[in-house]
Amino acid sequence: MLVHEDARLIHAPSGEVLRGAQLGTAVRRRADELADLPPGVVFLRASTELSSVLDYLGAIAAGRSIALLDPSLEETLLAGLLERFRPAALLGAVGVPPIAGYYPDGEGRTWLREATEGVVPHPELAVLLPTSGTTGNPKLVRLSRRAVLHNAETIGKVLGIADTDVAPTSLPLHYSYGLSVLNSHLMRGAAVLLHPEGLFARSFWDAVGEYEVTTFAGVPYHYEMLRKLRFDPARYPSLRTLTQAGGRMRVELVEEFHAKMRAVGGRLFVMYGQTEAAPRMATVPAERLPDKVGSVGCALPDGAFSIKRADGNETTHPGIGGEVVYRGPNVMMGYADQEAELGEGDQLAGVLHTGDLGYLDEDGYLFITGRLKRIGKIFGNRVNLDDLEQLVREADLGVDEVAVVAGADKVVVWLAGAAEQSCQSAAHTLADRLHLHIRGFDVRSVDALPLRSNGKIDYPELEARG
Amino acid sequence: MAIEERLRGVFVESLQLDEGAAVENLKYRDIEAWDSVGHMALVAAIEDEFDVQFDTDQVIDMSSFKVAVDMLRGMLDG
Repeated sequence: MLVHEDARLIHAPSGEVLRGAQLGTAVRRRADELADLPPGVVFLRASTELSSVLDYLGAIAAGRSIALLDPSLEETLLAGLLERFRPAALLGAVGVPPIAGYYPDGEGRTWLREATEGVVPHPELAVLLPTSGTTGNPKLVRLSRRAVLHNAETIGKVLGIADTDVAPTSLPLHYSYGLSVLNSHLMRGAAVLLHPEGLFARSFWDAVGEYEVTTFAGVPYHYEMLRKLRFDPARYPSLRTLTQAGGRMRVELVEEFHAKMRAVGGRLFVMYGQTEAAPRMATVPAERLPDKVGSVGCALPDGAFSIKRADGNETTHPGIGGEVVYRGPNVMMGYADQEAELGEGDQLAGVLHTGDLGYLDEDGYLFITGRLKRIGKIFGNRVNLDDLEQLVREADLGVDEVAVVAGADKVVVWLAGAAEQSCQSAAHTLADRLHLHIRGFDVRSVDALPLRSNGKIDYPELEARG
Repeated sequence: MAIEERLRGVFVESLQLDEGAAVENLKYRDIEAWDSVGHMALVAAIEDEFDVQFDTDQVIDMSSFKVAVDMLRGMLDG
């Protein structure tokens, strides 16, 4: 069961609380409504409104496959997804302009597909999440019911989540880490505080006090914010568990927050995951943090890491670098590019090639050193670096030679022979198109892009420039 | 230079606004550039420019250009 009988949903803006039988009934009612829809997946533009969370929980209870999407997703990207996957319904559709082949239901909160025929998703398929929410044509990660439930249960145990815990929605629910916070807390009978605002809002901190929030989940960028806020846990006596995932956090921040929490009897958990693993793969137990700083942890119970070397062989021998491979019951079924693939079964058999580079130490703790795939992170948001290059080329800036590399929670965009004005335009274009802050795009001009002997762009050399 | 003028420069620079952008009536989250990421950069830049340190409440309460001016006046005069 995803929702424990003691679980609570608290809607901070209204003060409304759903708990126990009342929550169960609300989920059941929504499940019955969703069960009546014609075949297909259900799309949800996920928000922190109660109705949105009930949509999600109702779909899970009804056994309907549901895809969670960023509500600020650009119209054209949303339209593209709808066309490719033909969902039976788009939920949370308020403000979405009319869609060809769909008609509004009720107050426009839901758009329903006119055609009644559609592909029946695989019976095990529970949750779909986009690989990167903001560029190109995102694929959807297919997560089975078992993967989602097993991961929520395991992470709940590893973190020691109890029914007394109160977790705010500090991360969006369409983001696998945010969804994991919701799932794991509801499963352990804890409370989830639905709050639309971020760390710089007075109302967020008021709610932390009023509802006695006990735990907080953040990506590295949130810890930079907490640092700027001169966060002092002594001011928030209920808040004693911090978790961090969504990219490598710099060592000084890990040490600082570990020390801060330790001083008041609290804990910081550093974790590692990917949407493709529903999402958690590793955690550093809080008490091991001091001697494992820089590691993203050891594999979750029932999971295992190995390192694939350049020759293709896998090893667990300490100190050997290569691609990180994870095995566990939480690995996705595969990707889906279009509707027809929704009916497919498990294609990975529990083995995930993460695309991350790293090594294990003698205790089986994983250290990430880089990335095999052309993927970067901006404030915790995964972006495809090749897509970014394409966006810049298409932006009509008169610059064709573009190279994008990953930086620390940002991307560095190198433009060959570009004027200052073009650099600024490129940054603005990327920020607009991705709905990410302009500071996430460090655009620099260079006389010529460095090339390797085979004539391809020398990305490692650009990365080394920092 | 008056506090307003210096602060104006910090806003334009750290939020990467156009040179002549009007900031006097700007409020947090009025524009995309002044979201949480922008706020972090802005607070750091103001601290550098005026050689001050804000506490938790000040970082949270700095919700408009005007508030920032008042805050700095209080800190720099005292």
